[in-house]
Amino acid sequence: MNYTLDFTALLGNGYPSLVWGGLITTLQMTLLAWLLAFALGSLLAVLRMLNIRLLNYAIATYVAFHRNVPMLVHILLWYFGVASLFPYEFNDHMNMIGGGEFVYSVIAIGLVTSAYVGEDLRSAIRAIPPGQVEAARSLGLSYLQAMRKVVLPQAFTIAIPTLTNQTLLLFKNTSLAMAIGLIELTGAGRAIESATFRTFEIYLVVTALYLGVSLLLMFLGAYLSKRSSAAMAR
Amino acid sequence: MKLKNLFKVVSVAAALAAAGVAQANVLEDVKSRGTLVCGTLGTSEPFSFQDPKTREVSGYEVDLCRKVADSLGVKLEIKMISVAARIPELAAGRVDLVAANLGWTPERAQQIDYSYQHYVSPQKILIRREDAGEFKTPADLAGKRVSAVSGSSSEAGALRLIPNVSAVTFQDPPSSYMALQQKKVSGFVGSELMLLKFKQDAENSPVKNDIIEEPLFVEPWGIGIRKGEQEMVDAVNAVLTDLDKSGELQTIYDRWFGPDTKFPSQRVFEVEEIKG
Repeated sequence: MNYTLDFTALLGNGYPSLVWGGLITTLQMTLLAWLLAFALGSLLAVLRMLNIRLLNYAIATYVAFHRNVPMLVHILLWYFGVASLFPYEFNDHMNMIGGGEFVYSVIAIGLVTSAYVGEDLRSAIRAIPPGQVEAARSLGLSYLQAMRKVVLPQAFTIAIPTLTNQTLLLFKNTSLAMAIGLIELTGAGRAIESATFRTFEIYLVVTALYLGVSLLLMFLGAYLSKRSSAAMAR
Repeated sequence: MKLKNLFKVVSVAAALAAAGVAQANVLEDVKSRGTLVCGTLGTSEPFSFQDPKTREVSGYEVDLCRKVADSLGVKLEIKMISVAARIPELAAGRVDLVAANLGWTPERAQQIDYSYQHYVSPQKILIRREDAGEFKTPADLAGKRVSAVSGSSSEAGALRLIPNVSAVTFQDPPSSYMALQQKKVSGFVGSELMLLKFKQDAENSPVKNDIIEEPLFVEPWGIGIRKGEQEMVDAVNAVLTDLDKSGELQTIYDRWFGPDTKFPSQRVFEVEEIKG
């Protein structure tokens, strides 16, 4: 074996702050994309419940488009394609706030994940027996109140494992933004690798950071699942 | 039973130990294999690119690789690699030589060995023509965003030499160029010839380009060989020196950079060891 691990090469030249900056960018992307995905996904699931034919077709088309095209293609489509449709002044504004790389990749990842989240919530809502809604209505609650107070809380409890899954996937998918030049964690690793050639060391560090955050997300999901199912059991 | 297992373990350990002791010699491997694997970009005219007529990868660096293969009496195999993968592919032994716009930097010289220089390239900045009044020297881009290819010396040079710049890097030259044309960045840093090609192609498009005259820095290019392979380095240097002395190098150079080609330029460098 002619490779000796040398971590000290990673300590100089501003590399630690590059990795830290990349981690912060990744976490920011994850948070914003998750909020977008969750908000949009819940909206889609609830709209599906209204059972309007045309709306169902529209939502099904949206979900099919976002699930059947690879996420990297979505990112490239937004960054190079949609961005060029906007007037040039808009692009100048984008450059002022740090560049379109962050915004467009967050939008692309958020929209694709919202399609999956919408489907997950829809199946969770369908898992609630219709007797619950009937019972709630017969007790005098309106349809909206029945949804809000009876069905949706139970649906979210059922959906927490799959939502944890989607969150983990979202967190990892942020690494695709490296393709459009965003320096998030993987991009920082790549940049340091081409500057120092310490391939194994830098990717070990990046892997450890991804694993660390992923495990935190997993434990958070497990904790929420336990708490809400305990609350439901009462 | 136990003795049989012990025998297996000892023989495997001996094999591993022998593998550690044996030296890999690229030159001998190439001769016994009968092919020379040469890594090139394949996307950089006129160094190595796909000739639209013959659909083969051809160019200045491809011709030099062919001369090396001929002198060793082996066949040439061209492998297209990306900019960021040049050093890793060489270190892993997946290519024997790298002739892929490989500029000399002190960090790279620690990882690989370079042959004598076969080209000297000024690194310049491409801008949109409408910005030509604003950006006259590289320092005018201070505080702005520029694009470059990920892992290239252009990226490193831009970060080193332009104050306060932020570099957005992409996987290949066309994406970096598209970012410039779509106004996502103010400049595109690269080798002069690559930028010249984009500039010429842009004359037929609505957004035209100019190149800032003053070079960002000048870098010598060499053929990359895995570290410690002195015999291979000597063989390649011998080929380059012979080509230079016999005048054949000038013929090859004129084929790609001569007066009636797309990139007419004078040869201002000598084939000699790269002074770092």
